[in-house]
Parts: sequence; C-alpha cells; structure tokens
Amino acid sequence: MDIAPPPIAEATAAPPQIEVAGLTKLYGDFTAINDLSFSVRPGEVIGLVGPNGAGKTTTLRCLAGIIPPTRGAVRICGFDLARQPIEAKRRLAFFSDEPRLFDYLTVNQHLTFVARIYGVADYQQTGRQLLEELEIADKADKLPVELSRGMKQKLAIACGLLHAPQVIFFDEPLTGLDPIGIRRMKDSMLKRARAGAAILISSHLLHLLEEVCSHVLILKDGRKVFDGSLGEVRQKFSEQAGGGNLEDAFFRATGETKGEE
Amino acid sequence: MGGALFYYQFHSWWNRLRQRVRRLRQPKYLVGAIVGGLYFYFYLFRGLAAARHGAPLPRAMPIPPEMNDLPQTLAAVVFMVVLLLAWILPHTRTALAFSEAEVAFLFPAPVSRRTLIHFKLLKSQAAILFSALLMTLIGRGWSGGHLLTRALGWWAGMSIFNLHLLGSSFVLTMLMDRGMSTSARRVLILGATAAAAVGIFIWVRHSLPPFPAATNQEGFSWLFHYLGRVFESGPLPYLLFPFRLVVAPYFAATYTQFLLALGPALGIMGLHYFWVMHSNVAFEEASVELSRRTAERIAAVRSGHWQAARRPKKAARPPFVLLPAGHPAVALLWKNLISAGLYVTARVWLMLVWVVIVSSLVLQSLSAHGSGVGLVVIVTVGIMLAMSLFSGPQLLRNDLRQDLPVADVLKMFPMPGWQVVLGEVLAPAAMLAGVQWLLVLFGTIFFPEQLDKYTIPLAVRLSVALAAVIVLPFIDLMALLIPNASVLFFPAWFQLGKDTPRGFETMGQQLILMFGQLLVLGLGLVPAGVAFTLFLSGGSFLHWPLLGVVLGAFAAAIILAVEAGIGIKLLGGAFERFDVSGELL
Repeated sequence: MDIAPPPIAEATAAPPQIEVAGLTKLYGDFTAINDLSFSVRPGEVIGLVGPNGAGKTTTLRCLAGIIPPTRGAVRICGFDLARQPIEAKRRLAFFSDEPRLFDYLTVNQHLTFVARIYGVADYQQTGRQLLEELEIADKADKLPVELSRGMKQKLAIACGLLHAPQVIFFDEPLTGLDPIGIRRMKDSMLKRARAGAAILISSHLLHLLEEVCSHVLILKDGRKVFDGSLGEVRQKFSEQAGGGNLEDAFFRATGETKGEE
Repeated sequence: MGGALFYYQFHSWWNRLRQRVRRLRQPKYLVGAIVGGLYFYFYLFRGLAAARHGAPLPRAMPIPPEMNDLPQTLAAVVFMVVLLLAWILPHTRTALAFSEAEVAFLFPAPVSRRTLIHFKLLKSQAAILFSALLMTLIGRGWSGGHLLTRALGWWAGMSIFNLHLLGSSFVLTMLMDRGMSTSARRVLILGATAAAAVGIFIWVRHSLPPFPAATNQEGFSWLFHYLGRVFESGPLPYLLFPFRLVVAPYFAATYTQFLLALGPALGIMGLHYFWVMHSNVAFEEASVELSRRTAERIAAVRSGHWQAARRPKKAARPPFVLLPAGHPAVALLWKNLISAGLYVTARVWLMLVWVVIVSSLVLQSLSAHGSGVGLVVIVTVGIMLAMSLFSGPQLLRNDLRQDLPVADVLKMFPMPGWQVVLGEVLAPAAMLAGVQWLLVLFGTIFFPEQLDKYTIPLAVRLSVALAAVIVLPFIDLMALLIPNASVLFFPAWFQLGKDTPRGFETMGQQLILMFGQLLVLGLGLVPAGVAFTLFLSGGSFLHWPLLGVVLGAFAAAIILAVEAGIGIKLLGGAFERFDVSGELL
C-alpha cells in the first residue's frame, strides 16, 4: 500500500487544533521544556524529534494534560487545557510507548469502560470495527496478560481511538509492533489525519516521520530548534551542508555528529 | 569469578545503604526514620538495656524447672513439621531466586553452576544473618543462654533450613522430570506421614497414662508434664533426635554447652551442603521464569498495587452492565469491582445473605437456652464491625492506592478530579458496607431478646440495626478518604515509583499514617456523633427514643456525607494538581 503524505495545503486553512504558547516545564532547577510555542492544524502530522533528554515525552505529557506545565498555555481545539480541561481532554488521545492497560479488564471490558468515560453511545459498533481494523477482534474476551506486546499496543490504540479524537499524540508508536503492525499503524495515522485530526508524533525513527509527517518540530535541551514543513527543514539545513534527508537535517539542526563522520 | 560476585553483592548492599542515608535529607523520610527508630528502640532495645542493668528478661510462659528440655523438643517438632512442608507444598520446578539483572548478566556469562549456587547461598546469608539478629532481639525472653549463642543458634537453624529447602527442591524437580505429578507426590508423602503418625500414636498411647483432666490442675504444669512424657515415649525421641541437634545451639545455657551443640549442627549443615552441591538438577530455566515473575510482583507491590502481585488468570464477571451514558465515576466503580475479583457479583452477595440468615437462625436456636453463646457471638460481631472500620480501609485497596501507578491514564480522562476520586473510593466503600450490612443482618437476627437480665424488644434491635445500616457506608467513605488522601499527599510513603523505600523510615511512615488516620477519622466523627446524640436526646425527651435513633442516624449520615463530599472535592483538587512526573517517575 502506498503511503501518501496528508493534504497539507487544505489543512493550513483551518484554525489550529493544537496551540502551544510559551510552554515551560521545570523539575526543580532542571528545565525540561523551555518556552516552547507551536501550533498544529487539522490534517497536519507533526514529527517531534530530538536527542534523548530533549523534552519530547515531557512535551507530549504536558499537552495531554497528564503533567501540569510550569508556565505557558495549551489549547486543544480552542479549549484551554488548564481552564477547560474536560472539554479539551474529550477531544484528545495520547498513546504512550508502553501500553497502559488495566490487568483485570478484558479487551471488551476496556472498550466498555472507555466508552462510559467518554460517553461514546455507539461504542459497540465502533469498538468492533476498531478491533477488526487492528486485527484483535478474536481476542475480545482476553485479559492483557494473555496478549502479546503488540496486541496490547493495539488494544491501547483501540481504546484511544474509540471516541474519535480530533487531536492525537503518539509517543514512539511503533515500539513492539511487527512489520505488518507498523504498516497498519502508519496507514491508521494517515487515515486519521486525512479525516481532519491533528497529530503529533514523537519518535526516533526518522524514516517513519519522513513517510508520515507533513511537518517537523526539532527540540534540543527543551528548546525549539526548528518548526516547519518537511520541505522547509530539508531546505534550511541542506543549504548549510548540502544534505538531503531528514536524518541529515536532524544531525545538523541538533549539532550532533553521525558515528561515521 | 567469586571475587566479581562478591564485589557485586557488597557494592549493591553498600550503594543501597548510601542511597537510604542520602534520602534522609528529605523530611518525609527523616521523620519516618525517627519514628521508626523510636519504635524499634522501645520495642526491641529498651528491654536489652534494662537487662544489662539487672532486670530479668521477660519470659512468655513459666515452665517448671524439671521440664527445661521441653522447649527444645517442641522447637525440634516445629522444625520437623516445617521441613516436611518443604516436601509437600512446592508445586513448581527448582528455581533459585535471581533478579532479572542477575539472570541477564550471570546466566550467559562463563560462570559455573557451582559458582551460581555458591552465589545464591552467599546472598541468602545476608538475609539469614539479619533475620537471626532480629529474631534474637524479638525472642530475647524465650530461653536462657546468651544473646550471642542464641543469635548463632538462629543462624545455624536458618542456614540448615535454607540448604534443606534447596536440596529438597532439587529432589522434587528430579521427581517431576521422572514423571511424578505434584498431586501424586503429595498423596505419597502425606500418606506416609499419616501412617507414621498413626503408628506412633498407637505405640505411644499404650505406654502413657490417659490424658489428665485439666480442671483439677494448677496452671499448665500438668500439660508440660504430659507432653514431656509423650516426647520421651516410643520412637519419638529417636525420630526427633536429628531435629533436636539442629536447634540445640539455640538452647545452650552456657558457652561450653553451645560449643558442644554447635559441632553436630555444623555437621548436619555440612551434609546438607554436600547434598545441594552434588545434586545434578537443572535450575536455570525455572530461575529465569521465577525472576520474571518476581520482577513483576515486586513492581506491582512497589507501586502499591498489591492485587496485581497476583495477576488475574481468569476474566472476572462484571458486577453490573455498564451503559455508555451516565456518570463517568460509575465506570471507575465498575472497573474497581471487577478488579476485586470473581466474588463481587450480585449472585454471590445474595448467596451470602442467605447463608447469613440461615446460619444466624440456626445459631440462635442452638443458643436459645441461655448458654452464654449469644453474648459471645454478639460481642464478636461488634468487634468485627469495629475492626472493619479500622482494618477494612487498609485491606480493601481497590481505589487510588491501586490506580495511582496508572495516574497518567486517569489524568487523561475527561473527568474533574473529584469525579475520579469519588469513582475510585466507591468500590471499596461498597464492598466494606456490604460486609458490614451482612454482619448487622446476622446480629439483628441472632440478637437474643433476653440478654443477661435485660430484655431487648425487637423494635429496639431493628431501630439500632437500621441506624447502623444508614450510618456505616458514610463512615466507610470517610475512613477510605484518609488513606487515599495520604496517597495523594505523601505518595512516596505508599511505596510508589521505582525506588522502594524500606527500613526504619518506612515503618515510621506507616506508624504515622496509622495514627493520623485514627485521629482524622475520630475528629470527622465528632459532628456526626453530636448530631446523633441531639436527636437521640430529643427523641427520648419526647418518649420516642427509637425514632430518635433512626432520625439521629439520618442526621449523622447527612453530616458524614457532607464531610465526605468536602473531602472528595478537596482530594479532587489535589488529584488535578498531582504531578505524576514529580512523584512517580
């Protein structure tokens, strides 16, 4: 199946689904995120890249309302995450690198539980479709302990997508997936983006981001190094040293050196 | 290779100690350490200090001087039974307990099997030495002799037990490899044990006088004398001989006796060592599996999620049908009731109600003739109700204490904090109230109309029971809010996160929390108690005391509900501000 980038031109006309202004997160004296601002419009898929410790996961967790930022504002679909957290959270989904499931709920019970939390009336039909799409429909009565790592990841994705979020955050989404799962995950991301979701993906897999993302946000030491489209990042950093792909751009943007260099 | 393993073991211990000392810079650990230290001092060391100044060590039960041999014999019997259990209980293959990291580093490394077993034995010695010291301090009044000889006695007994456990597990694995099932082995051993017990009983019975009547004797001396004669009869002295040798160092009264007793004990230890080292049984595969399960269990326990230490093997039936529309807090109640296991369903509770009704009616008819059973049962029910208020919230932890490790998931839910807290505490509150209602039902049916010289009419019993049924769920809610508040405000004290606090400081923290919980619950109950008393007094004044009881219960319940509501709101705010990155990661 060919993977086509999302329709960026159409997306940019709409108001942003994710607006981040001056986001700062401190842990004591340590600054994990420093004055970060950016926005994501419907249909845009932004790749969040940076070296280890750059603040990618902290950024995603702040945007998902899991941890409170020290300073700054986050708006999800126009709702301030600090002042209108319920409305904002209704519209978002966050997928961590490690699937977070309840040991004692079966696959079906997870969907029932999430449906009540988000008030999804037609969850049985939607849930069934999601389980079929993710190829775990035959595991509906299984507990997480009976599922493989990849299947757990798929269940977490089904739970997250059940309420049709307009904003989706992925933290290393391909961890633990087999090649077929990886392909389906990419398809799924693009499908949601084409349907108008704003997606933010944190990953070290630059080739994945090149395939899926329309934009890139590069972080280093909690600061934004670059924010723009894939074409812009290539253009900006290739002008300096003549490189052509995202990997080269990443190394130049973050000032890192490749092993062979 | 041995040097590397010793280096690893020593530095692991040293770094852990340094980390714990460094942690005392944080007031929450320092305060806990002070309280825990004081507890240890008063419980363990103060008696020793007194003993040094001439005060006699306490003795649990006076034993006639001529029966001084009896404790050693009884200890030998206990040791024999424990060893027997080591042959009966295990149902898995031999598994030496290694951590996941040890499995990852040592198993692929060029380390011989012999070295691995030595490492395991060396590692277990640290725990044995600590346990021996602790047991010496705890049991300082249990026998004569010196503290040093007692400590070494504990060490010898525990070391032999540890070696025997390992050796027996090797043999059991070998039997499993040869096709013997666990049940067949248990039947065989239990059958042999039962046959031996019956044989010994018949043998001993003919050589002993009949069991003496206790009523004509002073204290327990008759029992000690009788037991002494039993253990000196028939084959028992020979059967217990090796076990008496093992425990003999602990009971030595002088250093000379100790040295004489230590020789045979060390000999038995040496024989066990030879047995373990020359057992040719593979343990690696089972150890890898055990390390994985242990790591999961430790992670669950460290995160305060005790239930997860026993991972569910079977999906539980939902307690009720959860509809997609409605209050989202009910979803958390539903989820937590499922987590409580297979037993929290309407069918189970209905069955329990029937059992309670039938059993109380049967017991009532049995005790109808004033045998005093009625009073005992009623007092027992009352004690159980009181205990449920204090122990129930500690035992039923299907709330934030269970879910805080997944606080990041809870925080993503589009629910205000108070709804999350409400949903979390509802399940244990419902289960606790259910148990209490069963107790009240039992007590109401069973309660005799005539208790001693007092007549208690049915109307009084029903009114008090109704009042209890009304008030108890709200007291439970209050009682459950306190440990949940402690989790949110002092998460580190609930052993959350990756670093497990242990030792003095943790014990001190638990003591502080326990007293804090009692204090807060007591204060919270004061306004409700005042309201209840006012209504009861008003009812009595108007000659409607029973109405006063019921209305007082309603008033108390309303006050408790308001207090619980305020508490839930405050905790909800705390949950919203709770920074999982700062506390859990």
